[in-house]
Amino acid sequence: MTRRIEQVAVVGADAPAWMAAAAIQRSLGGAGIRVRVIELPTLLQPVDAYSTLPELAGFHYRIGLEEGLLFSACKALPVAGQRFSNWSGAAPPFIRGYDQPAESGAGLGFTQFWIKGRQQGLRTEFENFSVGAMAAKAGRVPIPTKDAELRAGFGYHIDARAYTALLKLFATRGGVESKSAMVAGVETEGERIAAVTLSDGERVEADLFIDASGAQAVLIGRMAGAEFDSWREWLPCDRMLTASAKALSPFPGFSQISAFRQGWTGLFPLQDRTAVVAAYDSRQISDQGVLDSLSAFANLPVNGDAVVSGLTQGIRRRMWVGNCVAVGESAFSLEPLDAVQLHIVHQCISQLMTLFPVEAGAFHEAELYDRIIRRAAINLRDFQAAHYKLNRRFDAPLWDGCRDAAVPETLQRKLDVFSARGRVPLYDDETFHEDGWESLLIGHGLMPQSYDPRVDAIPEQEHIAQMQLRLKDIVGLVEAMPVVDDFIGSAELQRQAEVIALG
Amino acid sequence: MQQLRDIVIVGGGTAGWMAAAAFAKVIGTQTHSITLIESEEIGTVGVGEATIPPIMQYNRLLEIEEDEFVRETNATFKLGIEFIDWRKTGSSYFHPFGLFGATIKGGVGFMNYWLRWVQSGGDPDFSRFIAEGMAAREGKFARMPASPDGQLPPINYAYQFDAATYAAYLRRYAERRGVVRREGRVVDAEQNSETGYIEAVKLADGSRVAGDFFIDCSGFRGLLIEGVLNAGFDDWSHWLPNNRAAAVPCRRVEDPTPFTRSTAREAGWQWRIPLQHRTGNGYVFCDAHISEDEASRLLLERLDGEPLTDPKILRFTAGKRRLGWVKNCLAVGLSSGFLEPLESTSIHLIQVAIMKLLELWPMRTVNPILIDQYNRELDLVYDHVRDFIIAHYKVTDRDDTPFWQYCRNMTVPDSLAAKLELFRERGETRMAPGDLFSETSWFAVLYGQGLVPRSYHPIANALPADELQVVLAKVGAAIKQRVDSLPSHAAFIERCCAARPPHAA
Repeated sequence: MTRRIEQVAVVGADAPAWMAAAAIQRSLGGAGIRVRVIELPTLLQPVDAYSTLPELAGFHYRIGLEEGLLFSACKALPVAGQRFSNWSGAAPPFIRGYDQPAESGAGLGFTQFWIKGRQQGLRTEFENFSVGAMAAKAGRVPIPTKDAELRAGFGYHIDARAYTALLKLFATRGGVESKSAMVAGVETEGERIAAVTLSDGERVEADLFIDASGAQAVLIGRMAGAEFDSWREWLPCDRMLTASAKALSPFPGFSQISAFRQGWTGLFPLQDRTAVVAAYDSRQISDQGVLDSLSAFANLPVNGDAVVSGLTQGIRRRMWVGNCVAVGESAFSLEPLDAVQLHIVHQCISQLMTLFPVEAGAFHEAELYDRIIRRAAINLRDFQAAHYKLNRRFDAPLWDGCRDAAVPETLQRKLDVFSARGRVPLYDDETFHEDGWESLLIGHGLMPQSYDPRVDAIPEQEHIAQMQLRLKDIVGLVEAMPVVDDFIGSAELQRQAEVIALG
Repeated sequence: MQQLRDIVIVGGGTAGWMAAAAFAKVIGTQTHSITLIESEEIGTVGVGEATIPPIMQYNRLLEIEEDEFVRETNATFKLGIEFIDWRKTGSSYFHPFGLFGATIKGGVGFMNYWLRWVQSGGDPDFSRFIAEGMAAREGKFARMPASPDGQLPPINYAYQFDAATYAAYLRRYAERRGVVRREGRVVDAEQNSETGYIEAVKLADGSRVAGDFFIDCSGFRGLLIEGVLNAGFDDWSHWLPNNRAAAVPCRRVEDPTPFTRSTAREAGWQWRIPLQHRTGNGYVFCDAHISEDEASRLLLERLDGEPLTDPKILRFTAGKRRLGWVKNCLAVGLSSGFLEPLESTSIHLIQVAIMKLLELWPMRTVNPILIDQYNRELDLVYDHVRDFIIAHYKVTDRDDTPFWQYCRNMTVPDSLAAKLELFRERGETRMAPGDLFSETSWFAVLYGQGLVPRSYHPIANALPADELQVVLAKVGAAIKQRVDSLPSHAAFIERCCAARPPHAA
């Protein structure tokens, strides 16, 4: 009998470290695994916020974290989609709603019907048929309803420091041990980390080391063959600015992502403020230049609390080496478009849990983890690169360059097949499924030339009637949803706020 | 060419008529013409044909009424496949449709808990944790929805039917919807001198049938796809050496079993597919290890009922047409590739080709991007099925004949080798979204063939031992209760869908 994993050390900071620790503790604490966090100094600023996808709710469920706490303790607001403006010259903004795919075995999605409608003169935009987008537009919260055929979920804007504190409290209450320290050295034996030496001289041994240190990559960065490859060729932004503005009233139901000549700005409303982010290409504009124009870009007076940081996008060649596993940005990193920041962490942790090693000595799972995370990363990268590739701004070299440059073959195939037939060829380990890709591609103006012939089997009158019915259903569903302000102030959330006594 | 209007299907049989029926239903004959050319001379073999559950999607597309369909094709219901002598002579296991165990909330897959239980001394027979397997063993069947608590899925099943009556049934369906059948044998094709697109086929009687799109259902030789368009063929016989089958129907000697049986033999395997009126049998073998005469003789000797005809020999090579779609021609059925029917995938592969063609059907001009997409997607489907079938030969303790020695020792595709390795280490089979065979299928076959995982998911250890006992007992009891409530397969058929009149065998 081989020896099982007994000790896990998570080395990292902020939400990623605590997410990893909480997940392992929750699932494997009962199997006798001990989890210890070596907590590095925070990388977060008071202005930082996380924007998350609806999938994060699944993570919270898995670790047993009550969702209401996000609203009561983390200043969170729910959002049902993202609104993109100024990416396409004069074209109106569009919302990519967080719809949940309808379960249909036939494989004949609504989009096929819409494409035919469009070819026959239908003027109604694609987003009008998305319950998530319409909820977002109306500033309402798509609370899960059981029987409705059309469903959407919501993500959050969360105060990053408060969320980290909540996760830390939750993880340590669950039995995770922790110590604040810096890493002074890493002792390796071949491809295995024997121990990590801390700044105070303590030597930490473990069977498995999780690197959740973000871009610092304090462990994985030292491992053989784990070099970092940049994606700048397709994602040109290399600087980021984070600031805040006053809270919006009433609360909107979406994140606002606007392109400007040298990059984009994001507005992420929270209960107490609006987080403002700008990502840009330093070859096109200086930090000062962005600072000077930030309020204009954001179309909102921005506070004087801006913080500038570097933005490196890319992936490591290996993400699991020996007994060291990278989760989150230490594995691969992308700009905070499409709410992928914590999703990257979530994805890595889920995969680590699925492939949690059975043996302390041999790590047969490493290669598979690398392969899966790489595929997932490439799919996400392509999703983000599509925003740049499909832009129709003709006013700046950044945008002209992105439109003209070749994209990865994986993305080009999606664009080609979608353009020809309105069907997105998905690869393994996709975060965004058909509906996500469709709303992105159509939103940015890529109009399919043909549709599935099975649509033609439905008589025209019935087709029109079905489209109208869907619009009507969505209006009804959205009207029944609470507006964000009411949702936040609801009795249930208040109750949960009282139940927990934090720190 | 602008509008694609005239569709020509070359060849009848199961593939040709499945394509004709689906096109008649979806594309219709109002704006298109659909012509199927087949020859009485060539004919098809009426062997029993077993299917897998996704055939429901095809039937739903056609809006076929199930009981009528079962009656008209002399069909029986199928809950899985029994494998005899595959791991070693004297052994058997069942590959059921359906789910292994039940969903464990907040935990990992059921098989991990089960493996933990077995490693601590539990009964290694997993059949009582799969409703379909247990029902099959007891000769029971009924359609049954998911359990009210959502823990157990609906009973998952497919059909076993007479391929010739199935083709005839679909022919009636297609002809009622305007498909035109032309008697004749295709001998040649005319291609556009610039594009190479096929413009017409010529028949033996000298007549000519023009078309905009051609579906090649001409069987293994691939009259158009290979003969005219040179699509190429990837030979897989080094992994799947069987290249012959001897097929013969025999008299029914007992109530039809709700499953197909596959028995490993000295140089291949023998199928037994029970229909309502008779039983289909065949010996799939490799002629390098046994002669056609010897295989036929052994097949006849091993029937459980009186043979109804002489054995018919079928010849093939395992592999896949390199491109299933070239220009304005798509291969469906044997013309697109051949994988032995060990896991009853022949009709499924026909169905996949038809469904994908419909999804990507060129409304106006044939678009190379969509052709390329089709070919890529079909490759994934074929590779997956191929790997699953190869696993049956590679993972075995049998080494009693040169045939089995070869199989055991052969090098398998990298994709399969990685899969086997992961399963050996931790009982895990990772599924991709489009995969045909589920984790339960892989588990049943790999475990049944003798590959016992060294370990299982560590999360399964988080459940206290006494709770593990309770969980397993509860799931087992729920499955038993479900199976106990089922009628016998024969009684179910008698009540719902007995063929009329019973054929004089």
